[in-house]
Amino acid sequence: MALITDAWMPDGRKRPYRMCVRCVMDTTDPHISFDEAGVCSHCRNFETDFRPHWKPTLEGWAEFESKLAEIKAYGKGKEYDCIIGLSGGVDSSYLATKAVEWGLRPLVVHVDAGWNSELAVKNIEQIVTKLGLDLVTHVVDWEAMKELQLAFLRSDVANQDIPQDHAFFAALYNYAIKADIRYVINGTNFATESILPQGWGYDAMDARHIVAIHKQFGKKPLRNFPLISLFNYYFYFPKIRRMEIVSPLNFIPYSKQEAIYHLEKGYGWRYYGGKHYESRWTRFYQSYYLPQKFGYDKRKAHLASLIVTDQMTREEALAELEKPLVTDNELAEDKAFIAKKLGITEAELDEFIHRPPRHYKDYPTNERQLKWALRAYAVVSRAGRLIGIGKPR
Amino acid sequence: MKTRVITVLLLKEQGLVKTIRFKEPTYVGDPINTIRIFNEKEVDEIVLLDIGATPAGAEPNYRMIQDIAGEAFMPVGYGGGITSFEQAKRIFETGIEKVVLNAAMFDNQALIERLVGVYGAQAVVACLDIKKNLFGRYELFSHGGKRKRPVGLDDHLAALRQLNVGEVIVNSMDRDGTMSGYDLALLRHVTERIDAPVVACGGAATVDDFKQAVDVGASAVAAGSMFVFRGKHRAVLISYPERKTLTQLLP
Repeated sequence: MALITDAWMPDGRKRPYRMCVRCVMDTTDPHISFDEAGVCSHCRNFETDFRPHWKPTLEGWAEFESKLAEIKAYGKGKEYDCIIGLSGGVDSSYLATKAVEWGLRPLVVHVDAGWNSELAVKNIEQIVTKLGLDLVTHVVDWEAMKELQLAFLRSDVANQDIPQDHAFFAALYNYAIKADIRYVINGTNFATESILPQGWGYDAMDARHIVAIHKQFGKKPLRNFPLISLFNYYFYFPKIRRMEIVSPLNFIPYSKQEAIYHLEKGYGWRYYGGKHYESRWTRFYQSYYLPQKFGYDKRKAHLASLIVTDQMTREEALAELEKPLVTDNELAEDKAFIAKKLGITEAELDEFIHRPPRHYKDYPTNERQLKWALRAYAVVSRAGRLIGIGKPR
Repeated sequence: MKTRVITVLLLKEQGLVKTIRFKEPTYVGDPINTIRIFNEKEVDEIVLLDIGATPAGAEPNYRMIQDIAGEAFMPVGYGGGITSFEQAKRIFETGIEKVVLNAAMFDNQALIERLVGVYGAQAVVACLDIKKNLFGRYELFSHGGKRKRPVGLDDHLAALRQLNVGEVIVNSMDRDGTMSGYDLALLRHVTERIDAPVVACGGAATVDDFKQAVDVGASAVAAGSMFVFRGKHRAVLISYPERKTLTQLLP
């Protein structure tokens, strides 16, 4: 398997192939640009947008320690002081071990969207058992999940992970509000996931986009699917209910290799071989659907993220990209399983992959509303502070 | 290890559920993914019971059974809604190894005889749903615990001996989903009166419970909650004891 150099362009134009000289992002990203030296826009954005917020330093730690103190003070007299979403993957598993080390008392919440691999559930079992943490699971109604995933497949958009990702976050945040636990600690981190081209798939948090695609392509009403509205996500939860999402991995040195070593050695945890491959769906989607239908190889973004944070050399990343995305055996097994689980034939699944791609902008989104809302929100929050809503500075 | 450790999965419409004392079904997810995870955990056997079929007078959901049989590496027993030989035949044709019957053991003994005759005793399993009444007497139920049977336990066991069924699942309704241990007195009572292998079911929480069931004569142990729930919040998480732990403890 050689490097993928040809990708679908929404405007149909052809660009000569080019790869960044510093990372491995290339012209398969429709929006990439390069400076005179041949360094790409992702590398530049990392320096301007991410590095200033990424503080795996003493200064960052001091900042984070005051946050820890705040969380612990909030948790006085409560059974739990925060919630951690645990998928069984590297980031969230590592975070759970660190949270306990820091003296937090998290309630672990797992959202099961129906694609857990045995490795994922075993990892969750090991982590909660060895750390002595309590677990809650939100099992997404599979009939609803299936209905929405099929609607998305029929829509031919790039981000087929939207149903699953939205369910993860919506169920987690809705649960935090219901359980009245203010702090949600997540494993999001700049160290391993700062680069992800927006052109490779639309934002999973846009409920309007989801509902619109379901309305156009669904066959049954969408019941019991966890959704989070723009209003709740950007305003009601954070400002009125004062839910706060904290990403500690941005304040400590975080290396994926070390995290895996730490988890395997101390917790009987096992690695599953690729970013987000703890989900069977994601494995299929990233290793087959997306590269086949769109020419997008997400490994490039993951590897580029590791390069800009000095966890990997460009040569190592290029060697990694030469490896096949998936073996023929794995693919045959995945296809059979996924078709069966979605209640379609393998031929129908192939058909979804061979049909022409569509751009997410072909369907309704909240992009404009969101820009407007965030601007309006800046005004409101200034006014709000005068009447005591929102966070005191 | 000759003691089989069986996972009991309850099917309700399209999804799997787990009950407490035959009530309060909690949704635990999609059968196909769950079976797939149990495959990788190398469980000994699965018993799949459609708890909605008989009460609704519905046929078994053949398509679902076919999907599950095709997914499972281990032997699978299916129960729920089987009232005729043709239905059982269709179920065997999907690749299911055993049929599990409760109501038909009372209502249609000719069917049981025919099934044993055609498929062999090992393929025909009796399931007894048993509840203690106020006076501490064991009573038999069918139709998902909704229909009380006017037959005494000992008489029913005598009938099962006559029918030569291959296996008897002793399912304690009082212990179902409670994770408070098996009803050992009940298990002893049954194992003393029947030669067929007895499967303990209802109440398991730990591998210690398995051992206690084997000590009173059970040939196999079954659990539902123990393999799908974790911790005090009953969080859904599929698990299965390590083989090492089982072989150390069980014959």
